Amino acid sequence: MIKENKKGTEHPLSLLANQAYQAFSELGFEIATGPELESDWYNFYVLNFPKDHPALDMQDTFWIKTALPDTFLNGDGGLPGYPEKKDSGRAVLRTHTTTVTARAIEQAGKDGRFPCAFISIGKVFRNEATDITHEMQFFQIDGAMVGENITLADLKGVLTHFYKKMLGGDVEVEFRPSFFPFTEPSLEVFAKFKGKWLEMMGSGMLHPNVLRNCGLDPKKVQGFAFGGGLDRIAMIKWGIPDIRLFYQGDLRLNQFENEN
Amino acid sequence: MKISYNWLKWYIPNAPEGNILADVITYHVAEVESVQHSVLNNEEDWIFDIKILPNRAHDLLSHQGVARELASLLNINFVDPTPKYKIPDSKPTKLIKRIEAPKCRRYMGRIVRNIKIGLSPEWVVKHLESIGQRSINNIVDATNIVTFDCGQPAHVFDLSKVKDLKLQVRNAKNGEKIKILGGVEKTLDDTMMIIADDYGNGLDIAGVKGGEYAELTEATTNIILECANFDPVSIRKTAQRLNIITDAKKRFENDLSPELASYGMLELSALISDMCPEAEFEDVIDVYPKKQEERKLSFSVSRISEILGLDVSASEVEGILKRYNIEYKQSDSKFEITMPSMRLDLVIEEDMAEEIGRILGYDKVKPTIPKIDFKPKVNETYTKISWARNKLLSEGYSEVMTYTFFNKGEVEVEMSASDKKFLRTNLTDGLKESLKLNELNAPLLGFDRIKIFEIGTVFTNKGEKMRVAYNEGSKIIEKNLNEFRK
Repeated sequence: MIKENKKGTEHPLSLLANQAYQAFSELGFEIATGPELESDWYNFYVLNFPKDHPALDMQDTFWIKTALPDTFLNGDGGLPGYPEKKDSGRAVLRTHTTTVTARAIEQAGKDGRFPCAFISIGKVFRNEATDITHEMQFFQIDGAMVGENITLADLKGVLTHFYKKMLGGDVEVEFRPSFFPFTEPSLEVFAKFKGKWLEMMGSGMLHPNVLRNCGLDPKKVQGFAFGGGLDRIAMIKWGIPDIRLFYQGDLRLNQFENEN
Repeated sequence: MKISYNWLKWYIPNAPEGNILADVITYHVAEVESVQHSVLNNEEDWIFDIKILPNRAHDLLSHQGVARELASLLNINFVDPTPKYKIPDSKPTKLIKRIEAPKCRRYMGRIVRNIKIGLSPEWVVKHLESIGQRSINNIVDATNIVTFDCGQPAHVFDLSKVKDLKLQVRNAKNGEKIKILGGVEKTLDDTMMIIADDYGNGLDIAGVKGGEYAELTEATTNIILECANFDPVSIRKTAQRLNIITDAKKRFENDLSPELASYGMLELSALISDMCPEAEFEDVIDVYPKKQEERKLSFSVSRISEILGLDVSASEVEGILKRYNIEYKQSDSKFEITMPSMRLDLVIEEDMAEEIGRILGYDKVKPTIPKIDFKPKVNETYTKISWARNKLLSEGYSEVMTYTFFNKGEVEVEMSASDKKFLRTNLTDGLKESLKLNELNAPLLGFDRIKIFEIGTVFTNKGEKMRVAYNEGSKIIEKNLNEFRK
């Protein structure tokens, strides 16, 4: 049976991204976007990664070899303005979309938009050996809420809401101690899906150094941030066995539907 | 790091059973990656593989460190081993040690004579094997026990190789060569530190790897024990440049407290005295130019509660500080604490929020949904992408995603083992491949003809651009997102 093309089929990560945007929009989050080719400032140093520190090893990075013209780093290309406080001024492929979160809360500070909440989903890159759970490129979902009195309890509420929306109302969500340079306290989020506890994302309260680096006053505002793989949610939800399947351009992958 | 339950029990005899302990660690300290129940010679043990977090790597990559943490967490007794460390009265020494490199923060040494290299006692072998280490000989094992027990890297040299009993830590000369243990020769530069005698013989790449020159042999009878402390960044850079990864390097790059060195020296001496009862100990030489400063930290219970979204009481905080043996002054709900030397991770008030949160347990924080007065704006890029996607989907096009990396392009990425070192300059090349693949599968997919699209970024030396590409038959049309929308 050959059917006539009617509506095309969606890539599962797009389906899931829209579902995730929906879940956060319900809670008042604004969608944010940003460049994939980033400055090391927004990828690392604005986020309180110290230079020459083991924490940098946590995210194996693709540094750009090609010398990019200053104009590129100053906004003529994809990068909207390299900050004056630029560090070594090297370009990287972003290792997380926390870069977008940092840019968004920095802008919110300039515009005096507090409280605020941002969500971004985008492609990120890690320089690591690929296997069924590791890929050089994947999608990350990242967000933050900043205001006068945003707490860890709010972080727990928002992320519990999110995973119930994504994986079903009966899913359990748990928070365990962790470490990230850009959050203090830092927590790892786990979800219990089909009887198994699975590591879902990193989260925590934004470190005061990050707020300061974004031009905000940690005495006046505080907030939470989170970030984790979207591919991973898709793999768990739909039983997709290999992360590399997402980027083969193979339509056999487009067999899932959004239940919402 | 691998932690043996039986080893922990030396220090916390009242510890709960292994599986319960694993949960305590998971929910209050760090992820337990695996718990292995083992039975060796009728003796049970649990081996925890704990993913110690980077901010605690300076004090928890050791059995005593983990035991101390658990004793405080569970409010159970910690058995201090130091009173048991017995060392015969030491004699005056002629050993001279100098620090000539500013990145060496402490340098301790001690001559021990009349030792005998041989097998280790059974408990030493058992301890080492339980965490996947191999017993080598009694003296080398003693240094390894010290490292895995208290966290301080330790090293032993053959005294007969050290001329005039003079040793120094200095920056290497550019081009200076040293043969490391295992026989490989490394060429150093002046950013790296070396431990050497006054005649240019290098004994050790400081903090990174021992040298072959003063390696112990079966004939060794006199030795120098060494415990030192180095600047973490210097060690990290040296190891990176020389491409050497050792346990000592990992520990030093996580910024150990220099205070730990004297503890390590005491434990190492006691172990060797126990293994070689005839050994003669000389006085410890301790070069410690700038003592680690005592730090104080103030925090308020109300601020901690505001961060956590949990009402924490002053008495709960007091209870925690007492259990963790942290000295404090309290006035109402404000605390000023004197930081124990090992807790280099606690610097700001937010660190205390984490400390108190994880000790109480994050499950105590009840989830809330914040209601915020924020008016989200429409994101233009997202709107354009959605519009393009929906238009193409409604025209019967299906969405694919292909790789950003390609074998040619204008922007090159630093990448070792790959033939795709460039970022794609177009979507067309990837889409062509996708089209071929899907045409083969067309009958299986139930389509009479393949219509596909991709929306994604491309990179040229002019910058990063969002593009849309789709096929018309075998032809690929590619446009900028903005152009597509027109």
